[in-house]
Amino acid sequence: MAVNTLKVDSRLQLVFSTGTDEDGNMVLKRKSFNNIKTNATDEQLHEVSIALYPLQQHILVDIARDDRSVLTES
Amino acid sequence: MKKLELKFLNEEGKTVTISLDDPVEPVDTAQVTAAMDAIIAQGCFYSNGGDFVEKKEARIVERNVFDISF
Repeated sequence: MAVNTLKVDSRLQLVFSTGTDEDGNMVLKRKSFNNIKTNATDEQLHEVSIALYPLQQHILVDIARDDRSVLTES
Repeated sequence: MKKLELKFLNEEGKTVTISLDDPVEPVDTAQVTAAMDAIIAQGCFYSNGGDFVEKKEARIVERNVFDISF
């Protein structure tokens, strides 16, 4: 059975390290951008992330992309 | 808590804001300008009213919270 994939939503998430807690575990802070075009390329999102992260104080740990697709039978 | 707000105008002339917590201070104007230009150039954000076309303003906003004890 063939399945069609329709991208319906994309998000960009920057994961920052804000320090460590009393047990020495890294404390993470996430910043999500919800208004990302579904057809944005990974390169574009990476460029934007690299431009944004030096404007704030924390260490950038991850640049993550969240895509949501709807699957339908074709 | 402080926030950096980057404000853009979209194709319909409406303002769209991208914000980041804990901005670096003092602000490096050139760096903020470069970041905003990169966001416009990459064109990966959408808004009601189309793509971002122009930088409008950038500012740091501080929110002060005072707890009231009963």
